Amino acid sequence: MNSKPVMINYTHRQAGHCESGATSNLFNFYGVKMSEPMAFGIGTGIYFSYLPFIKLMFAPMMSFRNLPNTVFRRSTKYLGVDSTVIRKFSNVKDSMDALDRNLEKGIPTGVQVGVFNLTFFPPEYRQHYNMHNMVVFGKEGNLYHVSDTVMEHPQTLTYEDLVRVRWAKGAFAPKGKMYWINSMPGELDIRKAVKLGVDKSVYEMTKVPFWLIGIKGMRVMAKDIRKWPKKHGNQKAAFYLGQILRMAEDYGTGGAGFRYIYGAFLKESGEMFNNSQLLEASDIMGRTANKWREFTYLGARNCKNRSSQPAEDYNTLGDMMMEIAGMEEQVFKTIEKLKI
Amino acid sequence: MENSEENTDPVYKNKNYGQYRELFYSYDENGNFQKSVGFHGTTTRVPLEQAWDLFNERIEEARQKVLAGKASPIVYYMEKILADPMGLSMMAGVSLWKLKLHCRPAFFKRLSEKTLAKYAEAFNITIDQLKNIE
Repeated sequence: MNSKPVMINYTHRQAGHCESGATSNLFNFYGVKMSEPMAFGIGTGIYFSYLPFIKLMFAPMMSFRNLPNTVFRRSTKYLGVDSTVIRKFSNVKDSMDALDRNLEKGIPTGVQVGVFNLTFFPPEYRQHYNMHNMVVFGKEGNLYHVSDTVMEHPQTLTYEDLVRVRWAKGAFAPKGKMYWINSMPGELDIRKAVKLGVDKSVYEMTKVPFWLIGIKGMRVMAKDIRKWPKKHGNQKAAFYLGQILRMAEDYGTGGAGFRYIYGAFLKESGEMFNNSQLLEASDIMGRTANKWREFTYLGARNCKNRSSQPAEDYNTLGDMMMEIAGMEEQVFKTIEKLKI
Repeated sequence: MENSEENTDPVYKNKNYGQYRELFYSYDENGNFQKSVGFHGTTTRVPLEQAWDLFNERIEEARQKVLAGKASPIVYYMEKILADPMGLSMMAGVSLWKLKLHCRPAFFKRLSEKTLAKYAEAFNITIDQLKNIE
């Protein structure tokens, strides 16, 4: 802890999503111009799963993104970049020493953390969510400089606080997971990476043989939304609906549960390779994202007013969800057999 | 949450939820994706406020129960860190059936210092604070 201060010349840029933002910033540090949507798309960040039997903050769990670390791992794998991921450490001291060694070598290092004890986070956003990512890029005595892409500016954390968030307990405990890039190859084959990323996303959204994942999961959720007021009563139904809205809009998604970011990826790669399939899909994805936003506005109004005829409102929302599912299916049908 | 009071960042002074600037994407009619940095809109803050109303209600309810002697302080602190019994048992490293027993005052009184320390670490407080709630 008494080592000399280290400060890596790392550029912090704000992003919509924590992990794709961290990945794109790391790529930029090694001199590759990679935007956030590009990292998100190649790393197959888009996802949907609805797990009503798991309760997160007292309401059914749903996820709009892939499992933690997928974006970094897949984007480096598909682009052929030499990177290291240490999944877990056996004890606290090893994990912090490994981080210090990396910093002394001048390698900005990504860490997976739990949100609940992050001191710089606004209190109302703190919840037991262990899949947050940030990059550590400097150290002065007891203080670590971290770049959390959800925040506007770089932040600092003390040694004890960093240990606490890196060793947060509960579901999906990070256990000190860290990752970094070793070196960049001379030429990146982005064309191949986009093809691989899109194919994987198509598989995960439409073809996984499990009824709660991807488009099928959205349809199941739509049916459940209609049942909520009858099954749980008005107040609980409004709270469950609030969970969908919070997951989609509030917790660092760039809006509409990552759909805008994915649309931006389709547009950027479509323009890069002049591919009509991708451009067409990006237009549908953009309209789907707008539909999501409409859904959240309507839902929020429903939460606020607790209107007199809740069953009808929830039916409308369920129908809307079905429509969104149909539109997203169309997106992935369009890019299913991608030729680039 | 103690740090938040000392913080001079305007975000923390303002008690309205969702008052920090985030990056948002949007899609306009011309088919372009736009980036913008801004605060959360009023409509997206509604579910957040609703959720916090519910959490605060649950915390207050638990506090009253503990003061009346119907439950042990573990129940109050569990609600305060927004955990459910399952989550807390993972965080503290105590099995679920034991944890449910510890939620009763009679069993809580008999707990050893070692077990109390486990809970105190999970709640990020001292053992004295755990024994006496405010």
